[in-house]
Amino acid sequence: MTMDQRAKTTSAGPAAIVAAPPRAHQLDIGRILRLSGTGIGLILLIAIFGTLRPSVFLTVGNFVNILEQISILAIIAAVQTVVMVVGDLDMSVGSTASLGGALTAVLLMSGWSIPSAVLLALCVGAGIGAMNGALVAYVKLSAFIATLASMTSVTGLAFIVTNGANIFGFTKDFLPLGQGRFLGVPIPVYIASAVSLLIWALLRFTTIGRRWRAVGGNAEVARLSGIRVDRVRFIAFVIAGLGASLAGIMLVSRLASATAQAGDSQMMLSIAAVFLGMTMSSHGGANIGGTIVGVAILGVLTNGLNIVGVNTYVQQLLTGAIIVAAVALSRLGKNRR
Amino acid sequence: MEQKLSPDSAVTRPDDVPMLRASSISKHFDGVFAVRSADLTLRRGEIHALLGENGAGKSTLVKILTGVYAPDGGTVELDGTPVVFRDVIEAQRAGVVALYQELSIVPNLSVAENIMMGEKTPARAGFVDWGRLFSIAGSHLEVLNQRIPLRRLAQDLSPVQQTMVAVARALAVNARVLILDEPTASLTNLEIVDLFRTLRHLRDEGVAIVYVSHRLEEVFELCDRATIMRNGQVVAAEAVADLTIDLVISKMVGRHSDEIFPPRSRHDDEVIVEVTGLTGRRVRDVSLEVRRGEILGVGGLGGSGRSELLRLISGAQRAQAGVVKLSGKDVTPSSITHGLDAGIAMVPEERRSQGVILEQPIRENMILANLPSVSSAGLVRDARVRSLANRGMTDLQIHARGTGQKVGELSGGNQQKVVLAKFLARNPTFLLLDEPTRGIDVGTKSEIYVLIQRLAEAGAAVLVVSSELPELLGLCHRILLLHEGRLAGEVAAEHATEEQLLTYCYGRTA
Repeated sequence: MTMDQRAKTTSAGPAAIVAAPPRAHQLDIGRILRLSGTGIGLILLIAIFGTLRPSVFLTVGNFVNILEQISILAIIAAVQTVVMVVGDLDMSVGSTASLGGALTAVLLMSGWSIPSAVLLALCVGAGIGAMNGALVAYVKLSAFIATLASMTSVTGLAFIVTNGANIFGFTKDFLPLGQGRFLGVPIPVYIASAVSLLIWALLRFTTIGRRWRAVGGNAEVARLSGIRVDRVRFIAFVIAGLGASLAGIMLVSRLASATAQAGDSQMMLSIAAVFLGMTMSSHGGANIGGTIVGVAILGVLTNGLNIVGVNTYVQQLLTGAIIVAAVALSRLGKNRR
Repeated sequence: MEQKLSPDSAVTRPDDVPMLRASSISKHFDGVFAVRSADLTLRRGEIHALLGENGAGKSTLVKILTGVYAPDGGTVELDGTPVVFRDVIEAQRAGVVALYQELSIVPNLSVAENIMMGEKTPARAGFVDWGRLFSIAGSHLEVLNQRIPLRRLAQDLSPVQQTMVAVARALAVNARVLILDEPTASLTNLEIVDLFRTLRHLRDEGVAIVYVSHRLEEVFELCDRATIMRNGQVVAAEAVADLTIDLVISKMVGRHSDEIFPPRSRHDDEVIVEVTGLTGRRVRDVSLEVRRGEILGVGGLGGSGRSELLRLISGAQRAQAGVVKLSGKDVTPSSITHGLDAGIAMVPEERRSQGVILEQPIRENMILANLPSVSSAGLVRDARVRSLANRGMTDLQIHARGTGQKVGELSGGNQQKVVLAKFLARNPTFLLLDEPTRGIDVGTKSEIYVLIQRLAEAGAAVLVVSSELPELLGLCHRILLLHEGRLAGEVAAEHATEEQLLTYCYGRTA
């Protein structure tokens, strides 16, 4: 509809003194900056570390390193994105990753074959997701409470499975999953890319993706439109549990050892990555592209600060500050009245 | 906007300077005017009615006066001095306070704390000075002649007491302009008398009161002057003594009801909807029939169960008992999904919270109820989405930049059309509409009526719930009235009057 038509429809009376101003159709630089702020932040980080240590940071080898380092987080953040698209939150992805890895390790040590150990661990992960989903969707607990509780219990399970020990010494055949390379690119990078692409395709092309977005947009509208909201939320949690377990198995392979809390730190990072990514969407929703940029920012930050020689405590401090800065920046100018 | 009136050009006697003068106020939302070039003048010590239909722009004007919205144009003067309020707090400091129904009270705080909310808490050495807090709060209640225990929690008060506490809070911040939005909605007649006495008292103390209400009898009893709005513009500002109820209505509506509604069409005799013994939380044993092409209206007071009836029929809420038959087949739905599959669609009551996802595009909203038809093997087909959305846009004449525009940017009428398009794409044989034109401008209302009638003519059975009696009378063939969950009466719309409907609504004839 053009301006003229719009003016006509609204100026029925003779006293149309104030004409309707044009819609913000033109180039809105503020908006573009807000939406691309996180992406610009990533480029800026690369530029800063590139200037400080070009010989170490700006090498193909280092970039492959970064990719390898962020692969596991990328998988967890991708499934966290699904849960957050639906409007929920999964606090248990870190401990589920720990348990998935630990269980695989224990099974391998007790002589299980790799495929059956991995398969069982994946099933357990999906089962934890199903429990979260049931608590949230059917028992109607808040996602925060339900997954906080299951995070605690799952950590307990992981300790029971490992007996609190550090498990290592698996068959060498298990190690390529986390350490191997194909055509010079680490295997985990392939897996993470495949998972991200799959989640992207689910969200973009499938009916379940539309249902997730609808429920996240407004669950009551979705329900009154005939969408089975409970089932839709349930499925999101199952996917989160499955993805978390997969990431945990890869982590154990990469480290060649398993502990009961190996994957715990991934939970906070995954949520941070999704939040960073949300700043890149015009309606402020979780989206997989943004999440991946968020993961990349966290990865580059850790890698760069290591190379520059900043100690890990300061690294943590800076990571938190940068997350706040990015999200705060994207809120600027959003509250118009 | 130019400022014509500077304080020194005004007459010197302060009594002649209005307490508040708003001139040429305009506000539009995404190209649609909510208020256009509106003037409002409040004198010291008057009760001023602000009247108009839903969507006439009353609330927007009030929100501009109290700093909730920034106007696009126009000026506001308080005591002859131009003022600009950037938020509610600034307006409150200047003495302009609005009380909204139910929003004005914090239920889990005491009466005294509620009254003192807008003020600095009296304190001694960093601790709350409760003695002073109670005495100040008590003095404000005394001005109102109210005896409400100061320590009681606000949630334990009766509705009129809550209103009084809100008024007392306004006094505590020295309100000179007090705006009340439908203050009597939940009050009994006796309580209304009490409230009116208080308001008259405040008026005599020099407070300017704006009284927003749909209850015209009250306006004529209480108010001194009235400003009437229609479609965002002020159409009259006169002394109440010079007005009659009929005159007010004709100014509010601007045209007669027979110009809004399309001529009634004929319907078949074949009954296609049979509802028997439907029972829910409020609804008790309701049975009804709808014929092919018939528009059946359902009226009743708020809380009579009229919306629940629709939810029960559509499957949005499980019925405790009862059967819904479509063309003789039992389709009693256990969920919305079942209902839709059987051919029953419901346009819900609250557009913004139940009808549309505001921050998503038009086409995403339209496919919500149609995912099976725009997809195959679980994959959404973009071409089918586009054609469904484009069809909805043209069929319902939705004014938007394109199907990718966010629904939240559209006017209320266009949002409602999006909801309709979403459900009409299912080709329902039984369409349920809950308040289909609430908060919509008159022009779009008329379009929606034509649309509903076209659907009926095409062979659908339609059931319309509305709290606006003229709408039921103008649009429907037959009207059922609910009283406390039960059917209280049935009338043929053509020769019925509003009085007749109201009698049934109050359950006087059973």
